[in-house]
Amino acid sequence: MSLSVQNLTKKYGDKVVVDNLSFEINQPGVYALLGTNGAGKTTSIRIILGMLANNGGKVLWKGKPLDPVKSNVGYLAEERGLYPKYSLLDQLMYFAKLRNVPKKTAMDRIKYWAERLAVEEYIFPPKVKGKRTSKANRADQLSKGNQQKIQLMAALISDPELLILDEPLSGLDPINTDLFKSIIREEIARNKYLIMSSHQMPTIEEFCSDITILNRGKAVLQGNLNEVKKSYGRINLFVKSDVDIASYISSFDLTIVNKTPSEYHLRVKDEKQAMEFLAKLINDQIPVVKFELREPSLHEIFVEKVGVVHEEK
Amino acid sequence: MKKSSISGWKNVYIFTLIQTLKNKAFIITYLLLIILMMVSMPIISMITSSERQEFDEPIPVKKVYVNNETSFPDMDFTGVHSDDRLSHISFETMKEAYDTVADRIEKKEQESVILTLTEKEGMYALNLLNANESPIKDIHMQLLGETIAKEFDIYKINVLGIKQEQLAMLHAEVETKVTLTDVNGAPILEEDTSITNSEYWFIYGILIVILFVNSFASGQIATSIVTEKSTRVVEYLLTSVKPLAIIIGKILAMLSAVLLQMISMVVILYASNKISTVLSGDTKESVLSRYLPENIFQNLNLMNIIVCFVLILLGLIFYGTLAALTGATISKLEEISEGLTLFTVTNIVGAYLGLGAANVLMASGVNGFVTFTFLFPLSAPFLLPGAILTGKVSLGLAVGAIALQIIFIILLFWFVAKVYETLILHTGNKIKVKELIKLSKTV
Repeated sequence: MSLSVQNLTKKYGDKVVVDNLSFEINQPGVYALLGTNGAGKTTSIRIILGMLANNGGKVLWKGKPLDPVKSNVGYLAEERGLYPKYSLLDQLMYFAKLRNVPKKTAMDRIKYWAERLAVEEYIFPPKVKGKRTSKANRADQLSKGNQQKIQLMAALISDPELLILDEPLSGLDPINTDLFKSIIREEIARNKYLIMSSHQMPTIEEFCSDITILNRGKAVLQGNLNEVKKSYGRINLFVKSDVDIASYISSFDLTIVNKTPSEYHLRVKDEKQAMEFLAKLINDQIPVVKFELREPSLHEIFVEKVGVVHEEK
Repeated sequence: MKKSSISGWKNVYIFTLIQTLKNKAFIITYLLLIILMMVSMPIISMITSSERQEFDEPIPVKKVYVNNETSFPDMDFTGVHSDDRLSHISFETMKEAYDTVADRIEKKEQESVILTLTEKEGMYALNLLNANESPIKDIHMQLLGETIAKEFDIYKINVLGIKQEQLAMLHAEVETKVTLTDVNGAPILEEDTSITNSEYWFIYGILIVILFVNSFASGQIATSIVTEKSTRVVEYLLTSVKPLAIIIGKILAMLSAVLLQMISMVVILYASNKISTVLSGDTKESVLSRYLPENIFQNLNLMNIIVCFVLILLGLIFYGTLAALTGATISKLEEISEGLTLFTVTNIVGAYLGLGAANVLMASGVNGFVTFTFLFPLSAPFLLPGAILTGKVSLGLAVGAIALQIIFIILLFWFVAKVYETLILHTGNKIKVKELIKLSKTV
């Protein structure tokens, strides 16, 4: 067991913003914290990192209370923060120093990540006759995406064992999204422990093995993503035909989840019902272009879980 | 306070100090102040020395027409010749019409003046008239007028038959002294602890400089703390250092930058004063020596310098910590001026107490209020350094003030650190004083 979050609780007055949250990360990989806006993801992360005092519970890292100042933890905050007027290199060296990274190692890592993230020209502006040719070596002169890259460099500067990424891909263009994803994959390959919070369900499905879905501070679903999906069964049926199959759907009493001009997204009771439906279509010589039966997506599970809880509330 | 709570403060301190010193606004302000300090004394010396030189030379008035409208017979003003600057002036009773003489003075005799003596309801008036376009300046007219007035007084006394000795007796000061005695009837001697006018201005000058430095440093500290909060950098920093380390590093870095400015300005001022000595000509008199109390250098020993420096430093830390409270309670840069209200009020109260005590010191010397102001942590940094250098404070009292200052700083720092820790991720509106008081009960 490497990271253990036990019964974490946080209150503001009478309002409970994190309610008895527990989860464990026992092996390297990405753990996802999901939830709607205001569900308590960032608050939970801040408590884990010791920035916020909690009203109950504890966080253990390798069996001992987690102290980010003493442990090697990297953090990419949801709200990006850099000193707007200071030189980027000065800032990164400062962040490295705070994490006790030796000067030379820090410089080597900055050079590596600057090249990897294609921000060399901003951190090391070329000089002509001893003068900088570019003024874009300050955060306030960078685009949002480039600022995010510098922030990621700051999170990775100490080569952390535990990396916490709060909405790492928000606001990035497709090229930079792929770049960030490749770096996350590399960190996974290097056996790092990652906690990721995101609204982008496909990204979570791409990287995360285990998830917690939070709603109003409470965990409404937890576990291994594959097992969670399996528990739902293959009940999502996608059918595409050249002719109208509405009467068949109606006769089988199937629920229409979504309908596009060429495709139905149906909800079946079980796989047997789906097979009977297919058999009927074939028997009646209905031209079936697509027939796909699959587990629900994380997006669907999320909407269902959070939606249900919202309705209950 | 655990050691781990402050580990990393040095990194915060070094980074903040370097970035502050690299800041363009800081550098420009610093250079401007240094240039100003460097040229100030020579310029004052040049201006004042030319005036002084002019004052020492014979004045350009050559003739005085005396227009006597009083009941006194012809008066003799040749007594003014005892002053070398006036010895060349001739006095002539005006025989022509006033307007004729006035017209002539205006057109031809610009180096002459008309003295009109009048008598009305038991009062005498002496009026001097000179040409609009003349080499005679106000200071010359002032000197001439004052000297003639003295001569007129002597003349009046002589006319009344009063001798100088009798007059001296009439004007002799009557001193009333109450002497306290002990049980044996022996007088208890009380030391005169009041300060002179120039000593007051010396204390006042130091007080204003400290007030200025305090305001400047506090603005810097609050801005630095709020910038980190508003830009969310603090969220990253908190993964590496504790809030206490951040706040210690920031306060000390900003104070170091301001102290560096202050010390270098004092050094430059000293150099500038030395240059003014060279420029003062034969007198070899520096500008500062003209205005500073004569006894100031008698009290300028190593111990006094150290005590003054410690007091100023503690004062800066105290007010810097108060400014940090502002930074801790707000999260937006645009709220800084509003947030600094508490600091500004406290700073002004401290300065005014110091100023009030300096006035009392000049009027009646050390009393209960002055002693309280010496010891009170809000006012001590403003008043004590000047008072020590004028020799009005004992070492014991200064040490007591330092001890009190340290206790207050520790208490204030503990509170500010707790507030900062509690509100470090606060992104809402400014915390009001009422909420702060409520918060103080929980931290």
